[in-house]
This record gives sequence, structure tokens and C-alpha cells, in this order.
Amino acid sequence: MDLSPRHEIDDQDKFRRDQLKSRRTKVYFAALILVVAGGFVAIQGLRNATLFFRNVDEAIIERVDLGERRFRLQGKVIPGTVLNDEGVTVFEIVHECEVAKVRHITDPPELFSSPWIPVVLEGRWTKGAVENINGRDSYYFLSDRMLVKHTNEYVSVNEERLEQPVPDDAAMSCEFLSDLREES
Amino acid sequence: MAEVSDQKTPKSKKSMSMTATPATRVLATVSVGASLVLLLLALIVSPADVVQGDAVRMLYIHVPSIWVAYGSFGLTACTSGLFILRYKRRADRGRHYDRIAGAAAEVGVVFTGITLFSGMLWGKVTWGSYWQWDARLTTTVLLFVTYLGYLALRRLPADPGVRAKRAAIMALVSFVNVPIVHFSVDWWRTLHQKASLSVGRRPEITGDMYWTLMYSALTFTFVATWLMIHRYRVIRLEEMRDEEMLQQQLRERRSENSL
Repeated sequence: MDLSPRHEIDDQDKFRRDQLKSRRTKVYFAALILVVAGGFVAIQGLRNATLFFRNVDEAIIERVDLGERRFRLQGKVIPGTVLNDEGVTVFEIVHECEVAKVRHITDPPELFSSPWIPVVLEGRWTKGAVENINGRDSYYFLSDRMLVKHTNEYVSVNEERLEQPVPDDAAMSCEFLSDLREES
Repeated sequence: MAEVSDQKTPKSKKSMSMTATPATRVLATVSVGASLVLLLLALIVSPADVVQGDAVRMLYIHVPSIWVAYGSFGLTACTSGLFILRYKRRADRGRHYDRIAGAAAEVGVVFTGITLFSGMLWGKVTWGSYWQWDARLTTTVLLFVTYLGYLALRRLPADPGVRAKRAAIMALVSFVNVPIVHFSVDWWRTLHQKASLSVGRRPEITGDMYWTLMYSALTFTFVATWLMIHRYRVIRLEEMRDEEMLQQQLRERRSENSL
């Protein structure tokens, strides 16, 4: 069987070769896009993913280092502290018995109204004397973006066993939350 | 070039052009029926969540989709490993394993896409944002892109054996990301919540919601299996078509030389 290349190339051969070439170019182009997309995703991931937020207690310890830098702050919203001050939502969040006063300047997500909901806020520490449930503080957190971080617990509305539960981590050790614990 | 030894001559033209069999038709019927029941359970029978309200119904799409995707990518990795170990010893040069790997990866990519899309919608309602670059979301989109790359590699023009070997290696490398995606919520701080169901831990989902989720996982598995079988058969038909085209060209060449 002779499989040597033909001397005369007819139109059909040329068509097949062109088709193969065109297909190859498309695949290489798609591969390039995928590599660029993968690179972008990896860079984004390395930059943001490993420390997505700081908890309230950590952010208070690092307050001096953080200065006026933007960062994400996470804590649970303390029920009864939420109020509207001329379009600014003011509330307090807690983590590991450390409390931060928050002034949030944009509309909060719908689930924000749920008691003890964990939230992640984007903003910065701002100087200003404030009073919170745990005493006085000379800083508050000025936030312009709020993400609600819902828990992994799914409870049916039909089950009435959980109504404004104080989360275990806060309720167990924070003296200043004892009143809320008793109420719930 | 040697003929592909595992490709039996089809009994008729009809059998060549169809991918359905009585068994897959039964599976299709079961899948469609189960999906309809799932709609009923997810939208009507299952209760709303005390915090998320009706948005929790996304759970029945989002979570089973990624479970099925994990399973599909696991199957791709297993059959790719078998391909590498056994292709020399098998009469079909491991094509059977390669086809399963390809079909499973396609299904996995589709379900990862569904996971990402449903997650974005769910995220908008609950978090207040379609997308955030936290560890879970980042690794999931990386998983999606990696397996798209794997499927692109399978389409590259090359000798089928060489291409299958390259694809098998890439499938094994890509699978490393699956446990990273799953445990990312435990290893790093994420906006995405931790797993609600884990081996050895009490489920964090109550009553009807739990059973609807389990039923949903079963339904998605039926659908994925059905899709996978058809994709396997389509891949085989494509190989048969390519082989037939090659044989046709060889015949033409032979007849030209004999003139």
C-alpha cells in the first residue's frame, strides 16, 4: 500500500487541510483564553481568598496596623442595636466578646434584619467616640458594602424551637450579653 | 493504520445513528418522572427556611449539582487512571476508559456550571452579591476552567492514542482540585458557609428539607447517568465516523494507485 503524499493535490484535499488548520487555530485560541482565564482566577484567588475577612476581635487588636486601610470585618449583628440615623444604618457586631460599632452608608441586604446574622462589612476604622453594648470606644467602623454571611444551618419555618437564638460562641462567655440571653 | 478492534460492525444503519436503548429509555423516563416529583417537593412540600425564607429552595439545585460534578470528575479520574494502567494490555488500547472519562468530564462541567450559576443567584439573594472571590468560589471556578481545558485538550487534533494519554494525565492532575474545593470552607475563611452535611456529624438541615435534598441528589444522579451514557455512545459514534472516513480515504488512495 502506497501512502506517500500525492503529487497532485485536488480541491478536496486542500479543503480538508484548510478545515483542519481552521479547527486547530480555533482550539489553540480557546486554549489561550482558558490559560488567561485560569491565570486571572488564580491571581484573584491568591490575592483575596486566603484571608477573606477579619473577625471583630482581630480587627480591634490590629487597629493601629490597619490604620485607614480598607478591609473586610466579620461579626454577628447584636439584636436591638440596629437603628437608622438619617439614611445611615447604625448597629453593633460581636465576635469572641469583642464589639464594634458600625455605621453603614448603603442599603443593607434583605437578610440583614435576621437576628444574630453574621455579616461581612467592607470599610475602614474611623476615629470617633462611640458607646456600644460593652462600653466606650474611640473608633467605629465606617462601611459602604455589606455581605450577609448566612450559616450552614437550615431550619424549617415550621419549627419554632429557634426564635432569636443567641449564638453559642457569644452566649457562652460574654457577660454583657447575659440580658439578651435571658430574654431569648 | 490498524483498525479499531473494539468497534463492532453495526447491525444496521439505524443502530449506528441512535444512542438510545430500551435501558436508557427507562432511565430517561425515571429521570423525567423523578424531576417532576422533585419540583413538587422542592417548590411546594418542602418548607421555607427560618432565616432565608424561600431562597433556601436553591439548595435543591446548587448542592446536588456539585455532588454530581464531584462524582463525575471522580469517575473521570478513575477511568483515566485505569486507562494509563491498562491501555497496553487491552485490545481496544483503553479507548473504552477514555470514552467514559470524556463523557463523565462533560457531564461534570455541565453540573459545575449549574452549581456556579445557581450559586450566583442564591448569593445575590442571601449575601447581597452575585460573586465574591472567596476561597470556595475561586477554587470552584478554577475547577470549571480546568475541566473546560481538559475538554479542549480532548478536541486537539492528534493521534487518538496520544491524545487519550495526554487527557488521562490532565484528568488526574485536575482532580487534585476537587478535595481543595470541598475543604476550602474548612481550610480558609470564606463567605460561603461550611458544609451542612458531613460524615460523622449531625446534619445541619432539618426534617423535610433534609429528605428533599437527598431525593434531589438521587434525581440528579439519574439525570447525570443518563446523560453520561448518551455522551459515551456519541463519542463512540464520532470515533467510528472518523475511522470510516479514514478507511474511505485509504480506499480512494489505493484505487488511485492501482490505476
